[in-house]
Amino acid sequence: MPPPALLQLDQVTIRFGGLTAVSAVDLAVTEGALVGLIGPNGAGKTTVFNLITGVYQPTAGTIALAGRPLAGLRPHRLAALGIARTFQNIRLFGSLSVLDQVLVACNLHRPTSPVQALVRLGAFQQGEAAMRQRAEELLGLFNLLRFRDQPARSLSYGDQRRLEIVRALATRPRLLLLDEPAAGMNPAEKQALIALIRQIHQEFKLTILLVEHSMRVVMGLCERVAVLDHGEKIAEGTPAEIQNHPAVIAAYLGVDHQTALTHH
Amino acid sequence: MESKVQSPKSGIPGPHLALVGALLVAGGVGLCSDWIDPYHLDVLTNIGINVILAVSLNLVNGHTGQFSLGHAGFMSVGAYLAAAVTLNLAPRLFGPDGGAAGPTALLFLGALLAGGLAAALAGLLVGVPSLRLKGDYLAIVTLGFGQIIVVLFQNFEPLGGALGLNGIPPYTTVGWVLAWAAVAVFTVGCLVRSTYGRGFLAVRDDEVAAAALGLDPTRYKTVAFVVGAFFAGIAGGLYAHFRLTITPGGFDFTKSIEIVVMVILGGMGNTLGVILAAVLLTLLPEVLRPVAEYRMILYSLLLIGLMLVRPQGLFCFKRGRTN
Amino acid sequence: MQEFLQQLVNGLSLGAIYALIALGYTMVYGVLRFINFAHSEVFMVGAMTGWAVGRQLPQGTWWGGLVVLGAAMLVCALLGMTIERLVYRPLRGTATLNVLITAIGVSLLLQSVFQHPRVFGATPQLFPPVFPERNFALGGVALSSNQLVVIVVAALLMVGLELVVHRTRLGMAMRAVALNPQAAQLVGVNINAVIALTFALGSALAGAGGVLYALNYPTVEPLMGVMPGLKAFVAAVLGGIGSIPGAALGGLILGTVETFVGGSAWLSTYKDAIAFAVLILILLCRPTGLLGRVAPEKV
Repeated sequence: MPPPALLQLDQVTIRFGGLTAVSAVDLAVTEGALVGLIGPNGAGKTTVFNLITGVYQPTAGTIALAGRPLAGLRPHRLAALGIARTFQNIRLFGSLSVLDQVLVACNLHRPTSPVQALVRLGAFQQGEAAMRQRAEELLGLFNLLRFRDQPARSLSYGDQRRLEIVRALATRPRLLLLDEPAAGMNPAEKQALIALIRQIHQEFKLTILLVEHSMRVVMGLCERVAVLDHGEKIAEGTPAEIQNHPAVIAAYLGVDHQTALTHH
Repeated sequence: MESKVQSPKSGIPGPHLALVGALLVAGGVGLCSDWIDPYHLDVLTNIGINVILAVSLNLVNGHTGQFSLGHAGFMSVGAYLAAAVTLNLAPRLFGPDGGAAGPTALLFLGALLAGGLAAALAGLLVGVPSLRLKGDYLAIVTLGFGQIIVVLFQNFEPLGGALGLNGIPPYTTVGWVLAWAAVAVFTVGCLVRSTYGRGFLAVRDDEVAAAALGLDPTRYKTVAFVVGAFFAGIAGGLYAHFRLTITPGGFDFTKSIEIVVMVILGGMGNTLGVILAAVLLTLLPEVLRPVAEYRMILYSLLLIGLMLVRPQGLFCFKRGRTN
Repeated sequence: MQEFLQQLVNGLSLGAIYALIALGYTMVYGVLRFINFAHSEVFMVGAMTGWAVGRQLPQGTWWGGLVVLGAAMLVCALLGMTIERLVYRPLRGTATLNVLITAIGVSLLLQSVFQHPRVFGATPQLFPPVFPERNFALGGVALSSNQLVVIVVAALLMVGLELVVHRTRLGMAMRAVALNPQAAQLVGVNINAVIALTFALGSALAGAGGVLYALNYPTVEPLMGVMPGLKAFVAAVLGGIGSIPGAALGGLILGTVETFVGGSAWLSTYKDAIAFAVLILILLCRPTGLLGRVAPEKV
């Protein structure tokens, strides 16, 4: 008997007007797994993320986290339940410093009320200090602490991507969704990213679902891979199985698929 | 008590010291007011009221990025309610000669708080439905609510209808106004300078990302709106007991625009800048008084010129924000 | 029934004016994405021009009326282009709120210039009856020639605008700039010219609106633009800002509702509030207006 799934998508479908962006997708991610979600451009990968995080509500089908159905919950509620994500197009807060980006996220599990922020009693002060300490630890882990007081947009592209991961981790997630974390990185940076993702996967005992174009990252990291094409799941299996799956090869038609899948 | 927190903020928090200091200054100015020229006192009172309005609107428009054009509406709620309280209670409690300093001060404080809370309630009623709208749409809906509030007062005869209320007791002094300005600045400052308050900025910068981190954007916007409305109500109460006459027309959208201009000129989200802009824009018409005929022409030309020359706000020196 | 039809006619003629002004808001928003608050003062300048020219002409003639209308449209078109060139163009690309404040500044400037006693002063003046005045009765519904002029002129101008936008190269360029200014520039559209002409067209319509409004409420004064301007803006948002048919529809709805409310005994004093209440209700149900596009946010 397989272990119960942390994240379960059951026949999930979403339509925008006449366009079916995601069609009857089933997906089960077991606790502690590191699963990849791949597919050509426009296959619906990010839409699946948006469905899981409550940005969109499915037209049909159900999504459950540890057996709890998520229908109707808004994004901030899902974050409180332990779903965190990064974004394909980096979405850092333009006016906040590097440290503040993380502090804002730490606030989720130590919610201070507006009244406390005004009265500023001892407990509030200690809470603030504890959050600050945790945020600095996290930044240190990612080697970002030296930028703590800089505005986030002054960071390099790769650092911004990693800062987004730190920020997501600060919410203490059970499930982390990474949307193309390697986009725009050079080979050396990608290699470092693989090591980093592996590290946080183990250290934080996370379940990770990863959307990625770089096959090198997906094949290097994931235990299982699901493939989307035109909003449908066309294959699922181990990286080795996926690389030789005829439907996957067909979906990547137009590129030299063998090269695309092995060396890219 | 041994605290492991090794920050200079342990003990009495710094902001509280600043607040106590500002309140003492307000009290001092209040005590000295007999020696200050009445005209200057008037101008100073006006400045204080405008600072309260601008700083509280800055929490909504600047820090939280929700463009509201209805601030004068909330101000009118506070003005009318506070005036109604003192107009009805003062004669009964103190008779025709007015009361001793202590009781009148208590009555005035109660009236101001009642006005502020009523405005906050109005803010909640307006904010909850409209805050899911964005940008220009939110602006026009808040503008609409502001106008509706004005029309409601125009038609509500128990509060004087279109003629408004007269003979409001002259309780507002420069000390009261400066003290409330200090409280408003303190409140907004403390709210924003906390991990909770960073959420206001996060919601402004990117609502989707903020929600993905567990911040409830609607809640943040509503809190900003309600706190902003509360202080607009307080400012309204102070204004009513300063002018002694209020009419619905005095709180129309021109007044809202005036406050918005202070916020934008000061640099959205920049508290100090907004305070300075409020001071400057209150002084400007006074300075232009000798050329009264051309006053509004010069005022508007200056406004246009400032926007062309310093688009990031008059007092924003750190970095030009364009978003 | 007769009463109803009468109110409907009155409402449509008021709504037609709102629609003319709303078109200017919506066109500028379409290409530049900002609310041109000075538009209500362009409307006022249109009425003022009509007043100044109309006093010099023999009254109650068709040609005189048309000259007044044409003069107001011309002056407003030039005014709109001037404002755009001197004030908005240098600000293009900065935060919309700055442009909004500048627009408010321009609006205050025009008001205060006209309030100066050497220019016009604060006292309202009677607008001359430049068109022939006749009253028609159609099955018990009274219709003044001025109302007829309003409806006919507004309808012609709106049809003309629709033709310009959808049948000419200028219109195509306008639509291209509205969709994507950078891309339009890349394919050789002269953005500056298109924006200037958009201002000219929108302002000309506001000028016509000013004359038509002044004909029916026959006084002019420097602050006359504020309320109709605000309501026309409401109409533009109501219809879905950026949408030309939406602005026309929004104007007609607002004018009609307002007239009906104003005509009823209980609600007449709430007339100004009702316009906004309708707007709020519609926006809360359809956050982008009646005919506005609903674009799902890209994440």
